[in-house]
Amino acid sequence: MVADLGCADCTLLWMLKFCKCIEVLAGLDIRENVMKEKMHRLSPLPGDYLQPSERSLTVSLHHGSVAHKDPCMLGFDLVTCIELIEHLEATELEMFPEVVFGFMAPSMVVISTPNSEFNPLLPGVTLFRHSDHKFEWDRAQFESWAIHAATHYDYTVEFTGLGIPPPGTEDVGFCTQIGVFMRNHPKNGETVSSEKHTKHAYKTVFKAVYPSLKDEKYLQNAVVNEVIFGAEIIKRRLLGNFKSERKKHNETKLKFQPFKCCMRCSTNLSLAETEKCAADRSTEPFVDGNKVCIPLAKIFLIPKVNQLCGTFEKLNKLIAGKVALNSDGSAVIVTVENENEEQEY
Amino acid sequence: MQGDARAAFRSVTCGGRARESGAGERARARSEARPSFSLSRSLNEIISVPYMDGLSAGDSGCTLVERGGKTRCNFQDLGVYTRETMAHVKESKTGSSGIPVKVVTNLYNLGLPREWQLYQYHVTFSPELESKRLRIALLYSHTELLGKAKAFDGAILFLSQKLENQITELSSVTKRGETVNITITLTNELASSSPVCIQFFNIIFKKVLKKLSMYQVGRNFYSPSDPVEIPQHKLTLWPGFAVSITQFENRVMLSADVSHKVLRSETVLEFMTNLYTRIDRSCFIQTCEKELVGLIVLTRYNNKTYRIDDFDWCVKPTDTFPKRDGTEISYIDYYKQQYDITLTDLNQPMLVSRVKSKQNSTVEPRVVHLIPELCYLTGLTSQASADFHLMRDLSKEMHLSPEQRQQRLSRLADNIQRIKEARLELEMWGLQLGCQVSLTGRVIPTEKILMQEQTCLPMSAGDWSKDMRNMKIIGVQCLDNWLMLCSNRNGEQAENLLNCLKRVGSPMGFHIEYPRISKSDSGPYMFLFRVQVQEPEVQLVMCVLPSNQKDCYDLIKKFLSLERPVPSQCVLARTLNKQGMMMSVATKIAMQIICKLGGELWAVEIPLKSLMVIGIDVNKDALNKGSSIVGFVASTNSKITRWFSRCILQNTGTDIADCLKVCMKGAISKWYKCNSELPARIIVYRDGVPDGKLKMVVDYEVPQLLSVLTEFATNYRPKVSVIVVRKKCIPRFFAEANRSLQNPPVGTVVDTEATRPEWYDFYLISQLARQGTVNPTYYNVVYDNSGLKPDHMQRLTYKMCHLYYNWPGLIRVPAPCQYAHKLTFLVGQSIHREPSLELADKLFYL
Repeated sequence: MVADLGCADCTLLWMLKFCKCIEVLAGLDIRENVMKEKMHRLSPLPGDYLQPSERSLTVSLHHGSVAHKDPCMLGFDLVTCIELIEHLEATELEMFPEVVFGFMAPSMVVISTPNSEFNPLLPGVTLFRHSDHKFEWDRAQFESWAIHAATHYDYTVEFTGLGIPPPGTEDVGFCTQIGVFMRNHPKNGETVSSEKHTKHAYKTVFKAVYPSLKDEKYLQNAVVNEVIFGAEIIKRRLLGNFKSERKKHNETKLKFQPFKCCMRCSTNLSLAETEKCAADRSTEPFVDGNKVCIPLAKIFLIPKVNQLCGTFEKLNKLIAGKVALNSDGSAVIVTVENENEEQEY
Repeated sequence: MQGDARAAFRSVTCGGRARESGAGERARARSEARPSFSLSRSLNEIISVPYMDGLSAGDSGCTLVERGGKTRCNFQDLGVYTRETMAHVKESKTGSSGIPVKVVTNLYNLGLPREWQLYQYHVTFSPELESKRLRIALLYSHTELLGKAKAFDGAILFLSQKLENQITELSSVTKRGETVNITITLTNELASSSPVCIQFFNIIFKKVLKKLSMYQVGRNFYSPSDPVEIPQHKLTLWPGFAVSITQFENRVMLSADVSHKVLRSETVLEFMTNLYTRIDRSCFIQTCEKELVGLIVLTRYNNKTYRIDDFDWCVKPTDTFPKRDGTEISYIDYYKQQYDITLTDLNQPMLVSRVKSKQNSTVEPRVVHLIPELCYLTGLTSQASADFHLMRDLSKEMHLSPEQRQQRLSRLADNIQRIKEARLELEMWGLQLGCQVSLTGRVIPTEKILMQEQTCLPMSAGDWSKDMRNMKIIGVQCLDNWLMLCSNRNGEQAENLLNCLKRVGSPMGFHIEYPRISKSDSGPYMFLFRVQVQEPEVQLVMCVLPSNQKDCYDLIKKFLSLERPVPSQCVLARTLNKQGMMMSVATKIAMQIICKLGGELWAVEIPLKSLMVIGIDVNKDALNKGSSIVGFVASTNSKITRWFSRCILQNTGTDIADCLKVCMKGAISKWYKCNSELPARIIVYRDGVPDGKLKMVVDYEVPQLLSVLTEFATNYRPKVSVIVVRKKCIPRFFAEANRSLQNPPVGTVVDTEATRPEWYDFYLISQLARQGTVNPTYYNVVYDNSGLKPDHMQRLTYKMCHLYYNWPGLIRVPAPCQYAHKLTFLVGQSIHREPSLELADKLFYL
């Protein structure tokens, strides 16, 4: 769970949404319009529905101030405040550590802010880098503020930065200074219970739930697709063999046609799997009249099906009612179309 | 589903050559020809999710121009006023004959009060502000004045309420303390029927559909969260809607129709792997390029589409490329970092795509490398659309019965009402989704089919193949000098076919002599050589093809319509294997041969004397996409049973014909030769006009057709009508019967309410839909000095739909259009040159 405070046009959130380890993303900004301008980038793409991801992902955007507490910001692992604090008025800045470290209390906080010592190297910068900046700190100011906050809320802070100064001016430090705060002790459950007591201060302006295999609907869909496609492939191979076999029979003038025949399917199974199959005769697909029966045990060996379902029981449960099965529910039935149907006459 | 029909049609005609004999037409008649989904076209349409297209009401920016600065294409053909030029329909363009039938439409009222207006203002800022964002923020800070319903793109402001003054002066203070004066000047009061307003409504409804969590693809909206899967073919369908607002005859209405988006879940890498296992390794690279170059692929990670322009077999995912900032990164690392995607195949080659800048066409295209593993195919390959099972499974999901269609429409209407955000979006502007419109159509009487000395009134208006059994066709010469080519292996089948042909021929009145049979096993080249040495006088060449290889068919058709013009009939050997079907196969082949010899099968009563009917269609050349093919087919007798054709290749890729003068001249001369007089009336049916090109037809094609006339005689003033035929149109009609909705009966005409006020137009259902929802054909009379009453124009058009000899039943378009289509199809697929004029008076292209 990651929250970006002062998310502006959501660029960081957009980059983070591709991180497969993140399941909840939240953004907060005081300027609703700026946030809304590009928030559509955080919506799932149509492609995401074609290929639901394994993780679940919820992205939400809130309109509000970092000087206020809102329970929707609880429980996060990482809170980022990229070039945020210098936009805060003195009163807001005063509230900020309490809200972020005291209330939200994530395991990790990343705060970045301009390093004013670097400013002389930037052409055209007179006072501040941006007209909305209320202050710009040098390294000592930022570090003292950060260490003070860290100590007060039991965090450890390390400093780093971005933007190496040109040769000869190394002593001004990074263009942007960054403080990385780590919470010293794991959180106790107390704060979570306080959730009820805090009123909602933010307005949710955007929420998107990404399609995910964690959602039964998408998982079922994915499994059913793999099962039917897998069954189709097995059927084609089986019938391919069956036909060539029959052709041979015909050529050798063998009149007798086995109505019901059982034969091994030549799928590209690994040796281990083949042995496993051989050990268990029930995984062999067979032709029965105009139907092909493919035992579920066989279907379960398809790597993708296996991976999606995990257990055989789960496979049974997911395809129930969605895939045609034989009477005892042990095999998938694929009907073989009469080839003549193909003809238009 | 026009594209679908065409695709199905192609799969029949290309896949099985022998299906020349009408099967294709069955596919056409069966399918529910409709724009809701056009396979070939819509699949290749770019999948895009434009969020800020055009004017958007609300906080973000808005503009009346689509993103990218291109002006919107005039899909609705606004601004073409043809009705006012035709005095006889100025007052009324509705007919009165036929039995009234009540039909439900897919049109919805918008509940607009008569006095509803949209107010357009021009907004200026002083001092001028560069930032659009700032301009919008400043203006919107005056909410109390502007009210809730507003749309502003930084310069133009739309309001639903009129401001008190013509000019309003406001002032705002920016965060920096600067005072900005805002002047809002009223520039326009727009009635709901004005084009700007219609466009505005369309944008509002786009927003509404987005609120329903639908995604825009092309012009339509789809729900990817409720896909219909066809896993056995690795296809996914997204259900969706085509929604548009149009000014109809009496009011502005919303039309909604079900649409489907077909997506493939097969990557280029999977396709290549599959190909690798199937074909000879030595020509793998070549085949791969042949199959894939030119296809559009979708990269799901960023939802973009690219055209595959080339392969780079030397670059691997482990190689590096320079990023924008100049640092080198490998493809694997890039995808891992940017999208957290791990590539599995490290030996795959790269796809190369040249991306053109949309804004600036002068900029050199940027070359991008794409990973086959991450590129999904879009569109159906020829291989897929030739797959009967695939197409059948697809159509099963896509062909909705009127009842199912209505259910989906109701659900959409419900959602718009139910989902608050969507409803508010409309209410804000004083709009609401009203009730579905019902209207009264008319069913015009069934036509009698005239055979030789007999007439029959078909049991079913859509299909009279049974009714005409044992009836003699109008006339044909004997087939006594002809040639049959087959391979040694197929000799038996050929003999069998001959017997059957003779048996079915005699009750029809078609005498067939035994042909000279030429057997060869050396392939099509040998076939041709034999044809070459034959003496002239050959009436027909019949070829029994051992396989349905396209090049063999093409070679035969090319040779026999260019070098040695003789009508030809190709039959697939496989078709002749079906024992039980032989008689019906032979019947169809016999009828086709009759047409190719210049014979006449049946006719309908034509009350007008000396009437020439012309069909025009324009198609693309399959080989040379830059050139288009104009097919022109004109009747040469008063009974309208004989046809003259011209086919012209144009090097311009436009859909507009610029060779109509020469075609028209040829057709009238031919008529004069056959009838010793000039035609007194000429009716031209023009098919294949794309949306938005109506004006071109009116301004450019009609004058060409008219200018020729005076060249024949100074006082020659025939009555001329030009009618644009559209197989796809917005409205759908359902008839209520037994408490459910069904397709309206064949012969239903609608010429009120769903029509456009500025045109002389009508809808005609002339096709029997066995499956799915029938698609009305839309006729727009753009020029008419004939003075024919609308009733007569409609009847005559309906009669024309009876005369297509490749199908003993009704078809969707007037027969000359279908002939012109067949002609352009043959030329575009196989011949690629203008066929010899010696064949011009025969239906050799069936």
